[in-house]
Amino acid sequence: MEKYWNPEIECMSREDMKKLQDERLVAQVKHVYDNVKYYRDLMDEKGVKPEDIKSTDDLHKLPFLSKADLRDAYPYGLLAKPLSECVRIHSTSGTTGKRVVAFYTQHDIDLWDECVARAITAAGGTNEDVCQIAYGFGLFTGGAGLNGGSHKVGCLTMPMSSGNTERQITFMQDLGATILCCTPSYAAYIGETVQEMGLTPDDLKLKAGIFGAEPWTEEMRRSIEKSLGIKAYDIYGLTETSGPGVAFECSEQTGMHINEDNFIPEIIDPETGEVLPEGEVGELVFTSITKEAFPLLRYRTRDLCVLSRKKCSCGRTLIKMAKPMGRSDDMMIIRGVNVFPSQIETVLIEQGYSPNYLIEVDRVNNTDTLDINVEMNPEQFSDKVKDMQKQERALADAMKLMIGINPKVHLVSPKSITRSEGKAVRVIDKRKLHD
Amino acid sequence: MANVKQISVFVDNKPGQAAGAMRVIKENGINLRALSLADTADFGIVRFIANDTEKTVDILKAAGYPVNVTEVVAISIPDTPGQLSRVLDALGNDNVNVEYMYSFLGTSDRAVSFVIRVDDNAHASDVLTKNGIIQLTENDIAEM
Repeated sequence: MEKYWNPEIECMSREDMKKLQDERLVAQVKHVYDNVKYYRDLMDEKGVKPEDIKSTDDLHKLPFLSKADLRDAYPYGLLAKPLSECVRIHSTSGTTGKRVVAFYTQHDIDLWDECVARAITAAGGTNEDVCQIAYGFGLFTGGAGLNGGSHKVGCLTMPMSSGNTERQITFMQDLGATILCCTPSYAAYIGETVQEMGLTPDDLKLKAGIFGAEPWTEEMRRSIEKSLGIKAYDIYGLTETSGPGVAFECSEQTGMHINEDNFIPEIIDPETGEVLPEGEVGELVFTSITKEAFPLLRYRTRDLCVLSRKKCSCGRTLIKMAKPMGRSDDMMIIRGVNVFPSQIETVLIEQGYSPNYLIEVDRVNNTDTLDINVEMNPEQFSDKVKDMQKQERALADAMKLMIGINPKVHLVSPKSITRSEGKAVRVIDKRKLHD
Repeated sequence: MANVKQISVFVDNKPGQAAGAMRVIKENGINLRALSLADTADFGIVRFIANDTEKTVDILKAAGYPVNVTEVVAISIPDTPGQLSRVLDALGNDNVNVEYMYSFLGTSDRAVSFVIRVDDNAHASDVLTKNGIIQLTENDIAEM
Protein backbone atom coordinates (compact mmCIF):
# COMPACT_ATOMS: atom_id res chain seq x y z
CA MET A 1 0.00 0.00 0.00
CA GLU A 2 1.38 3.35 -1.03
CA LYS A 3 1.54 5.79 1.87
CA TYR A 4 1.20 9.55 1.53
CA TRP A 5 2.24 12.24 3.93
CA ASN A 6 -0.34 14.70 2.65
CA PRO A 7 -2.82 12.82 0.45
CA GLU A 8 -5.03 15.87 0.00
CA ILE A 9 -2.25 17.69 -1.85
CA GLU A 10 -0.36 14.72 -3.29
CA CYS A 11 -3.46 13.22 -4.90
CA MET A 12 -5.32 16.47 -5.63
CA SER A 13 -7.16 16.74 -8.94
CA ARG A 14 -5.38 18.75 -11.64
CA GLU A 15 -8.20 21.32 -11.59
CA ASP A 16 -7.95 21.95 -7.87
CA MET A 17 -4.15 22.08 -8.06
CA LYS A 18 -4.26 24.65 -10.84
CA LYS A 19 -6.67 26.77 -8.81
CA LEU A 20 -4.36 26.59 -5.82
CA GLN A 21 -1.34 27.48 -7.96
CA ASP A 22 -3.20 30.37 -9.62
CA GLU A 23 -4.11 31.93 -6.26
CA ARG A 24 -0.65 31.45 -4.83
CA LEU A 25 1.14 32.74 -7.92
CA VAL A 26 -0.91 35.95 -8.05
CA ALA A 27 -0.20 36.66 -4.37
CA GLN A 28 3.47 35.75 -4.75
CA VAL A 29 4.07 38.04 -7.73
CA LYS A 30 2.59 40.92 -5.74
CA HIS A 31 4.73 40.05 -2.71
CA VAL A 32 7.89 39.98 -4.83
CA TYR A 33 7.05 43.15 -6.77
CA ASP A 34 6.37 45.05 -3.55
CA ASN A 35 9.42 43.84 -1.64
CA VAL A 36 12.22 42.94 -4.07
CA LYS A 37 13.58 45.92 -5.96
CA TYR A 38 15.86 43.75 -8.09
CA TYR A 39 12.94 41.77 -9.55
CA ARG A 40 10.65 44.81 -9.71
CA ASP A 41 13.24 46.44 -11.98
CA LEU A 42 13.32 43.34 -14.19
CA MET A 43 9.51 43.35 -14.45
CA ASP A 44 9.39 47.08 -15.17
CA GLU A 45 12.04 46.67 -17.82
CA LYS A 46 9.89 44.00 -19.47
CA GLY A 47 6.76 46.12 -19.01
CA VAL A 48 4.97 43.55 -16.83
CA LYS A 49 2.87 44.66 -13.86
CA PRO A 50 1.65 42.37 -11.07
CA GLU A 51 -1.92 42.89 -12.37
CA ASP A 52 -0.91 41.25 -15.66
CA ILE A 53 -0.43 37.95 -13.87
CA LYS A 54 -3.94 36.62 -13.29
CA SER A 55 -3.18 32.90 -13.31
CA THR A 56 -0.46 30.36 -14.10
CA ASP A 57 -1.36 30.86 -17.77
CA ASP A 58 0.41 34.23 -17.52
CA LEU A 59 3.58 32.80 -15.99
CA HIS A 60 5.49 33.04 -19.28
CA LYS A 61 5.17 36.85 -19.17
CA LEU A 62 7.48 37.09 -16.16
CA PRO A 63 11.23 37.64 -16.56
CA PHE A 64 13.67 34.83 -15.78
CA LEU A 65 16.17 34.77 -12.98
CA SER A 66 19.50 33.09 -13.51
CA LYS A 67 22.43 32.16 -11.34
CA ALA A 68 24.13 35.34 -12.58
CA ASP A 69 21.25 37.40 -11.14
CA LEU A 70 21.72 35.68 -7.80
CA ARG A 71 25.37 36.60 -7.81
CA ASP A 72 24.63 40.20 -8.80
CA ALA A 73 22.07 40.50 -6.04
CA TYR A 74 24.34 38.91 -3.42
CA PRO A 75 23.71 38.92 -0.54
CA TYR A 76 20.41 40.72 0.18
CA GLY A 77 19.22 41.85 -3.25
CA LEU A 78 16.52 39.18 -3.62
CA LEU A 79 15.41 39.11 -0.01
CA ALA A 80 11.67 39.73 0.35
CA LYS A 81 11.33 39.83 4.15
CA PRO A 82 13.06 41.85 6.83
CA LEU A 83 16.03 40.00 8.32
CA SER A 84 14.27 40.07 11.69
CA GLU A 85 11.72 37.63 10.24
CA CYS A 86 14.37 35.30 8.83
CA VAL A 87 15.67 32.44 10.94
CA ARG A 88 18.25 30.70 8.77
CA ILE A 89 20.56 30.91 5.78
CA HIS A 90 21.93 28.18 3.53
CA SER A 91 24.40 28.44 0.72
CA THR A 92 25.41 26.64 -2.44
CA SER A 93 28.68 24.78 -2.54
CA GLY A 94 30.07 27.68 -4.57
CA THR A 95 32.41 25.64 -6.72
CA THR A 96 31.91 28.07 -9.57
CA GLY A 97 32.42 31.65 -8.50
CA LYS A 98 30.63 33.51 -5.75
CA ARG A 99 28.36 31.61 -3.41
CA VAL A 100 24.60 31.96 -3.53
CA VAL A 101 22.99 32.61 -0.17
CA ALA A 102 19.32 31.79 0.47
CA PHE A 103 17.21 32.98 3.40
CA TYR A 104 14.39 31.24 5.24
CA THR A 105 11.60 32.35 7.55
CA GLN A 106 10.26 29.82 10.04
CA HIS A 107 7.31 29.32 7.68
CA ASP A 108 9.74 28.57 4.81
CA ILE A 109 11.48 25.96 6.97
CA ASP A 110 8.12 24.39 7.91
CA LEU A 111 7.11 24.08 4.25
CA TRP A 112 10.51 22.66 3.36
CA ASP A 113 10.19 20.06 6.13
CA GLU A 114 6.73 19.20 4.77
CA CYS A 115 8.16 18.61 1.28
CA VAL A 116 10.89 16.34 2.63
CA ALA A 117 8.37 14.53 4.85
CA ARG A 118 6.45 13.64 1.66
CA ALA A 119 9.67 12.26 0.17
CA ILE A 120 10.49 10.15 3.22
CA THR A 121 6.94 8.81 3.37
CA ALA A 122 7.06 7.95 -0.35
CA ALA A 123 10.22 5.93 0.39
CA GLY A 124 8.22 3.97 2.96
CA GLY A 125 9.30 5.94 6.03
CA THR A 126 7.11 6.22 9.15
CA ASN A 127 7.67 7.07 12.80
CA GLU A 128 8.84 3.46 13.25
CA ASP A 129 11.94 4.13 11.14
CA VAL A 130 15.49 5.03 12.05
CA CYS A 131 16.76 7.58 9.56
CA GLN A 132 20.52 7.99 9.13
CA ILE A 133 21.42 11.31 7.58
CA ALA A 134 24.87 11.15 6.02
CA TYR A 135 24.52 14.29 3.93
CA GLY A 136 26.84 17.08 5.03
CA PHE A 137 25.39 19.37 7.68
CA GLY A 138 26.17 23.05 7.66
CA LEU A 139 25.48 25.61 4.96
CA PHE A 140 24.75 22.78 2.49
CA THR A 141 21.01 22.10 2.39
CA GLY A 142 21.29 18.29 2.24
CA GLY A 143 21.81 17.57 5.94
CA ALA A 144 19.40 20.18 7.29
CA GLY A 145 16.69 19.36 4.74
CA LEU A 146 16.54 15.64 5.40
CA ASN A 147 16.96 16.24 9.13
CA GLY A 148 13.88 18.50 9.18
CA GLY A 149 11.77 16.11 7.13
CA SER A 150 12.82 13.13 9.20
CA HIS A 151 11.78 14.91 12.40
CA LYS A 152 8.47 15.88 10.85
CA VAL A 153 7.71 12.26 9.97
CA GLY A 154 8.78 11.28 13.48
CA CYS A 155 11.62 8.97 12.49
CA LEU A 156 14.35 8.38 15.02
CA THR A 157 16.89 10.66 13.38
CA MET A 158 20.65 10.10 13.30
CA PRO A 159 22.26 13.40 12.18
CA MET A 160 25.60 11.80 11.24
CA SER A 161 26.71 14.28 8.59
CA SER A 162 29.10 12.83 5.99
CA GLY A 163 32.47 11.21 6.54
CA ASN A 164 33.97 8.73 8.96
CA THR A 165 32.51 5.90 6.94
CA GLU A 166 33.34 2.98 9.23
CA ARG A 167 31.65 4.78 12.12
CA GLN A 168 28.63 5.39 9.86
CA ILE A 169 28.38 1.66 9.25
CA THR A 170 28.90 0.76 12.92
CA PHE A 171 26.06 3.11 13.92
CA MET A 172 23.96 1.82 11.05
CA GLN A 173 24.37 -1.70 12.35
CA ASP A 174 24.22 -1.05 16.11
CA LEU A 175 21.23 1.30 16.01
CA GLY A 176 19.36 -0.48 13.25
CA ALA A 177 19.11 2.36 10.72
CA THR A 178 16.36 1.59 8.18
CA ILE A 179 16.68 4.60 5.88
CA LEU A 180 19.94 6.11 4.60
CA CYS A 181 20.03 9.66 3.22
CA CYS A 182 23.16 10.94 1.43
CA THR A 183 24.60 11.69 -1.99
CA PRO A 184 24.55 8.71 -4.38
CA SER A 185 28.35 8.73 -4.66
CA TYR A 186 28.64 8.49 -0.89
CA ALA A 187 26.04 5.70 -0.81
CA ALA A 188 28.15 3.78 -3.32
CA TYR A 189 31.20 4.28 -1.12
CA ILE A 190 29.32 3.15 1.98
CA GLY A 191 28.22 0.03 0.07
CA GLU A 192 31.81 -0.69 -0.89
CA THR A 193 33.00 -0.19 2.69
CA VAL A 194 30.28 -2.48 4.08
CA GLN A 195 31.71 -5.23 1.92
CA GLU A 196 35.29 -4.43 2.94
CA MET A 197 34.32 -4.67 6.60
CA GLY A 198 33.21 -8.23 5.90
CA LEU A 199 29.49 -7.39 6.25
CA THR A 200 26.61 -8.17 3.92
CA PRO A 201 23.28 -6.37 3.47
CA ASP A 202 21.79 -9.05 5.75
CA ASP A 203 23.79 -7.61 8.65
CA LEU A 204 21.97 -4.29 8.19
CA LYS A 205 18.34 -3.31 8.70
CA LEU A 206 18.39 -0.78 5.88
CA LYS A 207 15.36 -0.93 3.59
CA ALA A 208 15.48 2.35 1.69
CA GLY A 209 17.84 5.11 0.65
CA ILE A 210 17.02 8.67 -0.34
CA PHE A 211 19.82 9.97 -2.52
CA GLY A 212 20.25 13.29 -4.29
CA ALA A 213 22.25 16.49 -4.73
CA GLU A 214 24.16 15.18 -7.74
CA PRO A 215 23.27 13.47 -11.00
CA TRP A 216 23.36 9.67 -10.96
CA THR A 217 22.41 6.98 -13.40
CA GLU A 218 19.92 4.11 -13.35
CA GLU A 219 22.90 1.70 -13.42
CA MET A 220 24.33 3.34 -10.32
CA ARG A 221 20.93 3.01 -8.62
CA ARG A 222 20.87 -0.75 -9.25
CA SER A 223 24.42 -1.13 -8.03
CA ILE A 224 23.73 0.78 -4.77
CA GLU A 225 20.50 -1.17 -4.25
CA LYS A 226 22.40 -4.41 -4.55
CA SER A 227 25.32 -3.44 -2.34
CA LEU A 228 23.12 -2.21 0.51
CA GLY A 229 20.06 -4.44 0.01
CA ILE A 230 17.68 -1.47 -0.30
CA LYS A 231 15.33 0.32 -2.64
CA ALA A 232 16.98 3.60 -3.68
CA TYR A 233 14.86 6.73 -4.18
CA ASP A 234 15.92 9.89 -5.93
CA ILE A 235 15.27 13.30 -4.41
CA TYR A 236 15.72 16.65 -6.15
CA GLY A 237 16.16 20.19 -5.03
CA LEU A 238 18.41 23.17 -5.09
CA THR A 239 19.44 25.74 -2.54
CA GLU A 240 17.90 28.50 -4.65
CA THR A 241 14.40 27.06 -4.22
CA SER A 242 14.86 25.66 -0.66
CA GLY A 243 16.90 22.46 -0.86
CA PRO A 244 16.12 18.76 -1.35
CA GLY A 245 12.41 18.01 -1.53
CA VAL A 246 11.41 20.11 -4.51
CA ALA A 247 10.69 16.75 -6.12
CA PHE A 248 10.88 13.18 -4.88
CA GLU A 249 10.52 9.66 -6.15
CA CYS A 250 7.74 7.18 -5.36
CA SER A 251 7.71 3.37 -5.51
CA GLU A 252 7.44 3.43 -9.31
CA GLN A 253 11.01 4.84 -9.57
CA THR A 254 10.31 6.43 -12.94
CA GLY A 255 10.85 10.08 -12.20
CA MET A 256 10.20 12.48 -9.36
CA HIS A 257 6.91 14.07 -8.31
CA ILE A 258 7.27 17.82 -8.03
CA ASN A 259 5.68 19.45 -4.98
CA GLU A 260 3.56 21.59 -7.27
CA ASP A 261 1.70 23.29 -4.46
CA ASN A 262 5.01 25.06 -3.72
CA PHE A 263 6.94 25.04 -6.97
CA ILE A 264 5.59 25.51 -10.49
CA PRO A 265 7.86 23.85 -13.06
CA GLU A 266 8.33 24.85 -16.68
CA ILE A 267 10.56 23.45 -19.39
CA ILE A 268 12.10 26.02 -21.70
CA ASP A 269 14.34 26.05 -24.71
CA PRO A 270 17.66 27.08 -23.14
CA GLU A 271 18.59 29.09 -26.25
CA THR A 272 15.39 31.08 -26.86
CA GLY A 273 13.75 30.97 -23.43
CA GLU A 274 10.52 29.79 -25.05
CA VAL A 275 8.28 27.47 -23.01
CA LEU A 276 8.26 23.94 -24.47
CA PRO A 277 5.30 21.56 -24.44
CA GLU A 278 5.13 18.64 -21.99
CA GLY A 279 7.40 15.78 -23.02
CA GLU A 280 10.10 17.87 -24.65
CA VAL A 281 13.63 18.05 -23.29
CA GLY A 282 14.71 21.45 -22.11
CA GLU A 283 15.91 23.50 -19.18
CA LEU A 284 13.92 23.20 -16.00
CA VAL A 285 12.60 26.47 -14.55
CA PHE A 286 10.98 26.83 -11.12
CA THR A 287 8.71 29.45 -9.63
CA SER A 288 8.40 29.33 -5.84
CA ILE A 289 4.83 30.22 -4.96
CA THR A 290 4.94 29.79 -1.20
CA LYS A 291 8.39 30.93 -0.14
CA GLU A 292 8.42 34.13 1.91
CA ALA A 293 12.04 35.16 2.43
CA PHE A 294 13.67 34.15 -0.84
CA PRO A 295 10.91 33.73 -3.41
CA LEU A 296 12.48 33.17 -6.81
CA LEU A 297 10.20 33.56 -9.83
CA ARG A 298 11.09 31.67 -13.00
CA TYR A 299 14.50 30.56 -11.79
CA ARG A 300 16.53 28.79 -14.46
CA THR A 301 18.04 25.68 -12.88
CA ARG A 302 20.34 24.77 -15.82
CA ASP A 303 19.11 21.19 -15.32
CA LEU A 304 18.04 19.51 -18.53
CA CYS A 305 15.01 17.25 -18.21
CA VAL A 306 11.49 16.31 -19.26
CA LEU A 307 8.14 16.76 -17.46
CA SER A 308 5.31 14.25 -17.61
CA ARG A 309 1.69 14.22 -16.46
CA LYS A 310 1.28 10.53 -17.26
CA LYS A 311 -0.78 8.78 -14.58
CA CYS A 312 1.48 7.31 -11.93
CA SER A 313 0.78 3.91 -10.37
CA CYS A 314 1.47 5.34 -6.90
CA GLY A 315 -1.73 7.38 -7.07
CA ARG A 316 -0.06 10.79 -6.79
CA THR A 317 -1.24 13.37 -9.28
CA LEU A 318 1.77 15.65 -8.83
CA ILE A 319 3.57 16.22 -12.13
CA LYS A 320 6.74 14.20 -12.62
CA MET A 321 10.18 15.27 -13.76
CA ALA A 322 12.59 12.77 -15.24
CA LYS A 323 15.98 12.36 -13.66
CA PRO A 324 17.92 15.37 -15.00
CA MET A 325 20.27 14.33 -17.78
CA GLY A 326 22.82 16.53 -16.16
CA ARG A 327 23.14 20.12 -15.18
CA SER A 328 24.05 22.16 -18.21
CA ASP A 329 27.12 23.10 -16.09
CA ASP A 330 28.22 19.46 -16.02
CA MET A 331 27.97 19.11 -19.76
CA MET A 332 31.32 19.08 -21.49
CA ILE A 333 31.62 20.13 -25.09
CA ILE A 334 34.43 18.05 -26.50
CA ARG A 335 35.32 18.42 -30.17
CA GLY A 336 31.90 19.99 -30.57
CA VAL A 337 30.05 17.03 -29.07
CA ASN A 338 27.98 17.30 -25.87
CA VAL A 339 29.20 14.80 -23.30
CA PHE A 340 27.79 14.20 -19.83
CA PRO A 341 29.73 12.42 -17.08
CA SER A 342 26.61 10.29 -16.51
CA GLN A 343 27.14 8.65 -19.92
CA ILE A 344 30.64 7.58 -18.92
CA GLU A 345 29.28 6.26 -15.62
CA THR A 346 26.65 4.18 -17.41
CA VAL A 347 29.30 2.44 -19.50
CA LEU A 348 31.55 1.77 -16.51
CA ILE A 349 28.81 0.12 -14.46
CA GLU A 350 27.57 -1.91 -17.43
CA GLN A 351 31.08 -3.27 -17.94
CA GLY A 352 31.54 -4.16 -14.29
CA TYR A 353 33.82 -1.31 -13.23
CA SER A 354 33.63 0.91 -10.16
CA PRO A 355 31.60 4.12 -10.68
CA ASN A 356 34.57 6.06 -9.34
CA TYR A 357 36.29 7.68 -12.27
CA LEU A 358 38.03 10.87 -13.24
CA ILE A 359 37.60 12.61 -16.56
CA GLU A 360 40.36 14.89 -17.79
CA VAL A 361 39.68 17.18 -20.71
CA ASP A 362 42.50 19.12 -22.28
CA ARG A 363 43.44 20.78 -25.54
CA VAL A 364 46.57 19.71 -27.34
CA ASN A 365 47.48 21.35 -30.69
CA ASN A 366 43.97 22.83 -30.87
CA THR A 367 42.30 19.44 -30.53
CA ASP A 368 40.32 18.49 -27.44
CA THR A 369 41.53 15.38 -25.68
CA LEU A 370 39.42 13.21 -23.42
CA ASP A 371 41.18 10.97 -20.91
CA ILE A 372 39.24 8.77 -18.54
CA ASN A 373 40.90 7.22 -15.52
CA VAL A 374 39.10 4.06 -14.49
CA GLU A 375 39.81 1.87 -11.51
CA MET A 376 40.71 -1.59 -12.81
CA ASN A 377 38.62 -4.55 -11.73
CA PRO A 378 40.86 -6.88 -9.64
CA GLU A 379 38.80 -9.86 -10.75
CA GLN A 380 39.82 -9.22 -14.33
CA PHE A 381 43.49 -8.70 -13.56
CA SER A 382 45.78 -10.67 -15.84
CA ASP A 383 49.55 -11.02 -15.75
CA LYS A 384 49.60 -10.39 -19.51
CA VAL A 385 49.98 -6.78 -20.60
CA LYS A 386 48.09 -7.51 -23.80
CA ASP A 387 45.00 -8.67 -21.83
CA MET A 388 44.99 -5.51 -19.75
CA GLN A 389 45.36 -3.30 -22.80
CA LYS A 390 42.49 -5.19 -24.39
CA GLN A 391 40.33 -4.17 -21.42
CA GLU A 392 41.28 -0.51 -21.92
CA ARG A 393 40.41 -0.72 -25.60
CA ALA A 394 37.09 -2.48 -24.92
CA LEU A 395 36.10 0.29 -22.50
CA ALA A 396 37.15 3.01 -24.93
CA ASP A 397 35.12 1.34 -27.69
CA ALA A 398 32.00 1.10 -25.49
CA MET A 399 32.38 4.77 -24.56
CA LYS A 400 32.83 5.76 -28.16
CA LEU A 401 29.53 4.05 -28.96
CA MET A 402 27.84 5.98 -26.13
CA ILE A 403 29.28 9.48 -26.62
CA GLY A 404 30.38 9.49 -30.23
CA ILE A 405 34.00 10.42 -29.65
CA ASN A 406 37.02 8.34 -28.87
CA PRO A 407 38.37 8.69 -25.33
CA LYS A 408 41.66 7.41 -24.01
CA VAL A 409 41.02 5.02 -21.13
CA HIS A 410 43.65 4.54 -18.43
CA LEU A 411 43.36 1.73 -15.93
CA VAL A 412 44.52 2.72 -12.45
CA SER A 413 44.68 0.89 -9.13
CA PRO A 414 41.46 0.13 -7.27
CA LYS A 415 40.58 2.87 -4.74
CA SER A 416 43.25 5.21 -6.09
CA ILE A 417 40.63 7.74 -7.21
CA THR A 418 39.54 9.82 -4.23
CA ARG A 419 36.19 8.77 -2.76
CA SER A 420 33.66 11.47 -2.22
CA GLU A 421 31.78 11.96 1.01
CA GLY A 422 29.68 14.69 -0.51
CA LYS A 423 29.40 15.81 -4.10
CA ALA A 424 31.93 13.95 -6.22
CA VAL A 425 34.41 15.74 -8.48
CA ARG A 426 34.34 13.80 -11.77
CA VAL A 427 35.76 16.21 -14.30
CA ILE A 428 38.96 18.21 -14.54
CA ASP A 429 38.77 20.53 -17.50
CA LYS A 430 42.30 21.75 -18.10
CA ARG A 431 41.20 23.77 -21.12
CA LYS A 432 39.93 26.40 -18.72
CA LEU A 433 43.45 26.84 -17.37
CA HIS A 434 44.70 27.86 -20.80
CA ASP A 435 41.90 30.29 -21.69
CA MET B 1 54.18 -31.63 -13.70
CA ALA B 2 56.88 -29.22 -12.75
CA ASN B 3 54.99 -25.96 -12.93
CA VAL B 4 55.90 -23.06 -10.70
CA LYS B 5 53.50 -20.49 -9.24
CA GLN B 6 54.13 -16.91 -10.29
CA ILE B 7 52.53 -13.94 -8.52
CA SER B 8 51.57 -10.82 -10.49
CA VAL B 9 50.70 -7.46 -8.93
CA PHE B 10 49.07 -4.48 -10.63
CA VAL B 11 50.74 -1.15 -9.86
CA ASP B 12 50.13 2.34 -11.17
CA ASN B 13 52.83 3.76 -13.42
CA LYS B 14 53.77 6.43 -10.90
CA PRO B 15 56.84 6.98 -8.76
CA GLY B 16 57.02 4.71 -5.73
CA GLN B 17 54.20 2.36 -6.71
CA ALA B 18 56.27 -0.78 -7.28
CA ALA B 19 58.37 0.16 -4.25
CA GLY B 20 55.22 0.12 -2.13
CA ALA B 21 54.43 -3.46 -3.08
CA MET B 22 58.05 -4.48 -2.45
CA ARG B 23 57.96 -2.85 0.98
CA VAL B 24 54.95 -4.93 1.95
CA ILE B 25 56.82 -8.05 0.88
CA LYS B 26 59.98 -7.10 2.74
CA GLU B 27 58.13 -6.21 5.92
CA ASN B 28 56.66 -9.69 5.98
CA GLY B 29 60.02 -11.38 5.63
CA ILE B 30 59.31 -12.87 2.23
CA ASN B 31 62.17 -13.65 -0.10
CA LEU B 32 61.86 -13.25 -3.85
CA ARG B 33 63.58 -15.69 -6.20
CA ALA B 34 62.82 -14.06 -9.53
CA LEU B 35 61.23 -10.82 -10.61
CA SER B 36 60.34 -8.83 -13.71
CA LEU B 37 58.42 -5.64 -14.31
CA ALA B 38 56.32 -5.06 -17.42
CA ASP B 39 55.17 -1.51 -17.91
CA THR B 40 52.82 0.48 -20.11
CA ALA B 41 52.17 4.22 -20.10
CA ASP B 42 49.37 3.70 -17.55
CA PHE B 43 50.29 0.82 -15.31
CA GLY B 44 52.86 -1.79 -14.53
CA ILE B 45 52.67 -5.50 -13.78
CA VAL B 46 55.23 -6.81 -11.32
CA ARG B 47 55.71 -10.56 -11.73
CA PHE B 48 57.73 -12.64 -9.35
CA ILE B 49 58.27 -15.96 -7.67
CA ALA B 50 58.30 -15.95 -3.88
CA ASN B 51 59.39 -18.54 -1.33
CA ASP B 52 55.83 -18.64 0.11
CA THR B 53 53.20 -17.98 -2.56
CA GLU B 54 50.11 -18.32 -0.38
CA LYS B 55 51.34 -15.98 2.34
CA THR B 56 52.56 -13.43 -0.20
CA VAL B 57 49.19 -13.36 -1.98
CA ASP B 58 47.37 -12.91 1.33
CA ILE B 59 49.47 -10.00 2.53
CA LEU B 60 49.38 -8.22 -0.83
CA LYS B 61 45.60 -8.59 -1.04
CA ALA B 62 45.26 -7.32 2.52
CA ALA B 63 47.35 -4.30 1.52
CA GLY B 64 44.85 -3.64 -1.29
CA TYR B 65 46.86 -4.72 -4.32
CA PRO B 66 45.21 -6.56 -7.21
CA VAL B 67 47.02 -9.90 -7.32
CA ASN B 68 46.84 -12.97 -9.48
CA VAL B 69 48.65 -16.28 -9.53
CA THR B 70 49.56 -18.09 -12.74
CA GLU B 71 51.53 -21.22 -13.35
CA VAL B 72 54.67 -20.81 -15.36
CA VAL B 73 57.51 -23.05 -16.48
CA ALA B 74 60.98 -22.53 -15.01
CA ILE B 75 64.10 -23.99 -16.63
CA SER B 76 67.79 -24.17 -15.91
CA ILE B 77 70.21 -24.24 -18.83
CA PRO B 78 73.99 -24.18 -19.12
CA ASP B 79 75.50 -20.70 -19.26
CA THR B 80 77.02 -21.15 -22.73
CA PRO B 81 76.25 -19.49 -26.07
CA GLY B 82 73.25 -20.79 -28.03
CA GLN B 83 71.46 -22.49 -25.14
CA LEU B 84 68.47 -20.17 -24.96
CA SER B 85 68.11 -20.22 -28.70
CA ARG B 86 67.92 -24.01 -28.55
CA VAL B 87 65.09 -23.84 -26.00
CA LEU B 88 63.09 -21.32 -28.00
CA ASP B 89 63.57 -23.29 -31.20
CA ALA B 90 62.32 -26.42 -29.50
CA LEU B 91 59.22 -24.65 -28.22
CA GLY B 92 58.61 -22.87 -31.51
CA ASN B 93 58.92 -26.06 -33.55
CA ASP B 94 56.19 -27.59 -31.45
CA ASN B 95 53.94 -24.53 -31.69
CA VAL B 96 54.29 -23.37 -28.11
CA ASN B 97 53.66 -19.65 -27.97
CA VAL B 98 55.83 -17.79 -25.45
CA GLU B 99 53.95 -14.83 -23.93
CA TYR B 100 56.96 -13.49 -22.07
CA MET B 101 60.04 -14.70 -20.24
CA TYR B 102 62.63 -13.42 -17.82
CA SER B 103 65.89 -14.70 -16.43
CA PHE B 104 66.93 -15.03 -12.85
CA LEU B 105 70.06 -16.02 -10.99
CA GLY B 106 70.44 -19.53 -9.73
CA THR B 107 73.04 -20.73 -7.29
CA SER B 108 75.42 -22.20 -9.83
CA ASP B 109 77.67 -19.95 -11.84
CA ARG B 110 77.60 -22.42 -14.69
CA ALA B 111 73.83 -22.42 -15.19
CA VAL B 112 71.22 -19.76 -15.77
CA SER B 113 67.49 -19.94 -15.03
CA PHE B 114 64.46 -18.62 -16.86
CA VAL B 115 60.77 -18.21 -16.15
CA ILE B 116 58.71 -18.83 -19.29
CA ARG B 117 55.01 -17.90 -19.56
CA VAL B 118 53.15 -19.96 -22.14
CA ASP B 119 49.46 -20.65 -22.70
CA ASP B 120 49.69 -24.41 -22.44
CA ASN B 121 52.02 -25.46 -19.64
CA ALA B 122 51.52 -29.21 -20.09
CA HIS B 123 52.41 -29.06 -23.73
CA ALA B 124 55.44 -26.85 -23.08
CA SER B 125 56.58 -29.15 -20.32
CA ASP B 126 56.41 -32.18 -22.62
CA VAL B 127 58.37 -30.41 -25.32
CA LEU B 128 61.07 -29.37 -22.84
CA THR B 129 61.35 -32.87 -21.42
CA LYS B 130 61.56 -34.36 -24.89
CA ASN B 131 64.46 -32.01 -25.65
CA GLY B 132 66.30 -32.80 -22.44
CA ILE B 133 65.92 -29.37 -20.89
CA ILE B 134 65.95 -29.26 -17.09
CA GLN B 135 62.78 -27.90 -15.50
CA LEU B 136 62.82 -26.50 -12.01
CA THR B 137 60.18 -27.34 -9.42
CA GLU B 138 58.96 -24.99 -6.70
CA ASN B 139 61.20 -26.86 -4.29
CA ASP B 140 64.22 -26.37 -6.50
CA ILE B 141 63.59 -22.65 -6.55
CA ALA B 142 62.86 -22.44 -2.84
CA GLU B 143 66.18 -24.08 -2.11
CA MET B 144 68.16 -21.68 -4.26
